[in-house]
Amino acid sequence: MSNDTIIKVEGLSKKYILNKLAAEKSDLLVKNLLSSLRGLSQKKQTEEFYALKDVSFEIKQGDRVGIIGRNGAGKSTLLKILSRITPPTSGRIEYTGRMASLLEVGTGFHPDLSGRENIYLNGSILGMPKHEIDRKFDEIVAFAEVEKFLDTPVKRYSSGMYVRLAFAVAAHLDSDILIVDEVLAVGDAAFQKKCLGKMEDASQNSGKTILFVSHNMGQISTLCNKGILLNKGKVEREGNLQEIISQYFNSGSSEEVTCFKYDSQSDKEYYIKQIRILNNRKEECKNFAHNESISLEIEVHQNTKLNDVLIGIHFYDMYDKRIFTSQIVLSDKFYDADKHTFLVTVPHSLLTPNTYHFSVGIHIPNIHLIDEKQNVSSLYIYDNGSEFFKYQNVDYGSVFVNCDWKIN
Amino acid sequence: MTLPKYYHLDKEKIIIDSNLNSFFSIKDVIKYKSLLANLAKRDFLVRYKQASIGILWALIKPLINIIIFGYIASKISTGHMNALSFLNVAVGMLVWQLFSSVFGQVSGSIVENANLFAKVYFPKIVIPISSILVCLIDFLISCIILIVMFIIADQTIHWQILLAPLFIVLAVINGFGIGLFFATLFVKYRDVRFVIPVVIQFGMYASPVIFSTSFYLERLPVSLHWLYCLNPMVGAIDGFKYCLLGGDAIYNMTYFILSIGISFLFLFIGIRYFYKFERNFVDYI
Repeated sequence: MSNDTIIKVEGLSKKYILNKLAAEKSDLLVKNLLSSLRGLSQKKQTEEFYALKDVSFEIKQGDRVGIIGRNGAGKSTLLKILSRITPPTSGRIEYTGRMASLLEVGTGFHPDLSGRENIYLNGSILGMPKHEIDRKFDEIVAFAEVEKFLDTPVKRYSSGMYVRLAFAVAAHLDSDILIVDEVLAVGDAAFQKKCLGKMEDASQNSGKTILFVSHNMGQISTLCNKGILLNKGKVEREGNLQEIISQYFNSGSSEEVTCFKYDSQSDKEYYIKQIRILNNRKEECKNFAHNESISLEIEVHQNTKLNDVLIGIHFYDMYDKRIFTSQIVLSDKFYDADKHTFLVTVPHSLLTPNTYHFSVGIHIPNIHLIDEKQNVSSLYIYDNGSEFFKYQNVDYGSVFVNCDWKIN
Repeated sequence: MTLPKYYHLDKEKIIIDSNLNSFFSIKDVIKYKSLLANLAKRDFLVRYKQASIGILWALIKPLINIIIFGYIASKISTGHMNALSFLNVAVGMLVWQLFSSVFGQVSGSIVENANLFAKVYFPKIVIPISSILVCLIDFLISCIILIVMFIIADQTIHWQILLAPLFIVLAVINGFGIGLFFATLFVKYRDVRFVIPVVIQFGMYASPVIFSTSFYLERLPVSLHWLYCLNPMVGAIDGFKYCLLGGDAIYNMTYFILSIGISFLFLFIGIRYFYKFERNFVDYI
């Protein structure tokens, strides 16, 4: 281990045996005994399943690593093994220092116990010695904002208070390595921000190493500076966070079409031959970060020259509400060639994270619709750390607008 | 960020490996003593906080048993009601109830607290150990019955009473050892839940709770005496009866020692079995 490597994972695998017969028996001792009496002739149908396969990586002191992957990629298994909840089937992990894992907030909270009692109980479950809880008690209570209800059983708490108290205990855990599994998905937005801030402070001021799993890329890009992309139990990529996030969004949709070809149409004066959706690196793509521009490459053919022809794009939100239209004059571009490729770019940080679709049309305003491709494709915009990332499931509008705020 | 270059050289280095098997270590338990204390405190608070007559409940159950079985015992052994046989049953019954509650609590503790170790790492042995406290408190409360009965029966106590804590510990060891075995089974087989009460019920009749060891052995063929003494509770109950009541509670020294030996054997087997599967509990639950 080099001096600043704090976690070293080598060839880590976790195998689960999906034993169909055993799975059936395992619940009942009697049934198990009976079936063993029935003889060993029945062959067990076992199926091996690797939740993690040969995973290796190193994490350096002070890194804040986002672990990204689809459901079933092995993220939770990895965190469970790292936090010593379940053993690996093979491989080895070395780490230095005190590790705290928050796979859940409020582990062990008992509804009948008071807030005060639960702070001590939960703190000790998380591995805080009593004197440490004593020392931080007031801070925890203040952070959770539950001063008045300290001696009330937590079953009488509102769900918000409950979560705040649970998180407050966890947030005050002293550790060198902090493992967090999507627990921030709870609580109101303001409190989430407070928690993220607390974690960032921890990392930046005390050199705490953080491993963070979340499906909210906004949270990940706010908090983390490195990423590990897991796919089907293997490390697909590690390193630069932004690249990993964009690979994550595009890996699942690689089969999706991003290039649309259309038949030639001799009966139309102009027709659309092909549309491609590109990101700012000119790669075909359907998933965009909110701060990434979207380009449409449209190939138009001309059969007969007409005047005053416009080409336009329409963007719609998921409710088919038109968000905006953009157009240019088409006909004056066709001097010499009978085909042209237009590249229209939607500026970055315009559309808010959501699903959109678009149409392309060629027309003479108010007179004649020449060619139209409706609902060409959907586009997905994900949050890459915008100021609104914490309102993940809240509709805060379709566009980002930088308004001018002043105090008069 | 400015960190000393060898920042973590003084920190504990932890290795997680596929073939590291842990075994009981007192160091682990001491390291997590705060958790141990808090879990025990939780069990205690939950038990006595809500039920305002919680303490009364700890008295009622043994009292009912003592009255019923004391009556039966005095009818069968002497033919008439007799304070001494009530006292005998009371002493046996309290130790037995200490054992059975430790056994019950420890057996259920792992499954009941699965939500804890499924999310946070700590030595799992802390859970069953912490569940013993409530049983001991119940036992101490129920000792009020004994004191009252001693006064009513006008019994004197002897110096042997000083040895009584040893047999209380022995009863706890029995409950803990056998409980650990069942706790591990319980994780794998959920119908152990229904086996536990049967074991407790049967065990009571196979132990010198209602009748003395001599009562049993006089009715068993000599060739089967050793079998009776394989019951680890024989040593604990007879020892406790001897400490409180004196006399001939210990029927046969060899059998008595054999039974105590079995207690420690069971404790060892229980711990072994527990640690064989301890690391994988999460995968079973």
